[in-house]
Amino acid sequence: MQQVSEEVARSFGGESAAGFVRGGSAMAGGLLPIGYEEEQSIGAALALQVLARYNGVYDRPDLTRYVNLVGQAVALTSDRPNIAYHFAVLNHDSINAFATAAGYVFITKGLLGQIQNEAELAAVLGHEISHISEKHILEVIQRSKLLGAGAEITFAALNSNPELFRGLIDQAAKKLLDEGLDQNKELAADRLGAIFAARVGYDPMAYVTLLQRLRALKGDDAAFFKTHPNFSSRIEAVQQGLATLTQPVPGALLAERFTQHIQGQL
Amino acid sequence: MTRRIRHLLSGLAGLLGIGLLVSVVYGAEVYVQAKSAQLRNGKTSLSQTVATVQFGELLQVVRQEGDWLEVRTAAGAQGWIFANKTTTTKPSRSASSLAKLGQAMRQAEAAPMTASTGARGLDKVSEEYANRSGIPQQYQDAVDRMAVYHISDQEVEEFLREGGLGEYAN
Repeated sequence: MQQVSEEVARSFGGESAAGFVRGGSAMAGGLLPIGYEEEQSIGAALALQVLARYNGVYDRPDLTRYVNLVGQAVALTSDRPNIAYHFAVLNHDSINAFATAAGYVFITKGLLGQIQNEAELAAVLGHEISHISEKHILEVIQRSKLLGAGAEITFAALNSNPELFRGLIDQAAKKLLDEGLDQNKELAADRLGAIFAARVGYDPMAYVTLLQRLRALKGDDAAFFKTHPNFSSRIEAVQQGLATLTQPVPGALLAERFTQHIQGQL
Repeated sequence: MTRRIRHLLSGLAGLLGIGLLVSVVYGAEVYVQAKSAQLRNGKTSLSQTVATVQFGELLQVVRQEGDWLEVRTAAGAQGWIFANKTTTTKPSRSASSLAKLGQAMRQAEAAPMTASTGARGLDKVSEEYANRSGIPQQYQDAVDRMAVYHISDQEVEEFLREGGLGEYAN
């Protein structure tokens, strides 16, 4: 769908990244691209909601630096390597990770405690980075019923109508934090997460190992999976993706380096 | 196998790029699949850098040896690039546009940060949202700190080297 939007933008001479694409959605029959300036407002506002709901940042400078190094390494060879990314650990014991937009990525202290090596961390962050590269949360906003036909998501429009912006962000936050994105988007993010990690040089099978560990810990209880598909579906998706490789992908786990950086931090 | 899974699997080859999947032949075209990458005068990470190429840049393949491709840029530079930093799939228009925007952003980031240049995560739209929603100041400050936290590409490269990752594996 994003590609369709870009085709529409092209035909109207638009420049999606510059935030100048302004056509009627009814006219285009599709979704309007959201410019990067507007995406930054959206990403920051949703980051506020994540922080408020998950007890803020777990502030350990060494840990923050390590998570950012792994995250930046994955982001630099992701499908969207040329925007700024920001990684933070949430001071929360639940097992979860989030991405908003414009590069904001979060992982809970609880999930970090379940990870055993750098390759697993890279895949988790890769999963979240792919939500940003695929612009999943932006699509939620673009589809909002709060936007009338032909509505323009420009910075000026958002600035002049703060109640509309508040409504859009609150809806998106509910989707992101309570209801979850569409399952096909989550499964696609699982496949991409393993791929992004593999591009850096990490063992992509580490992601399968992590998901299996979490399944053993949490089972496939539906109550736990309001925001993600169950672990069995996710494992299957990653394995099917990796099975298409024509040759084994050698990769590193870096368990020792991970332990060195995490030990005594959680 | 469902139609959806078939579709996803067929798309996987493009997502993986050549570095993880297939060999390429002389004359093939590939694109840079990294924010930037070095062309070297040999197929090792220790070889001298002869040129730096940017995300989305088109490269002509001269030959492939192992995990490395010898390529030629449109400007005529020739050297070796680690194959995982290339893809046979052309980046989308928005990616190309974002590449330009990314360059502008990096230039902006390189400039001294002052309050007037907005060295923070919240802009006036998201700050207004925070105030209307009663988001405590500590979380607003946290977003600002996330946004200005900076790790250079060189630091990431050193981190990869220390870990023996990618082109530093051998």
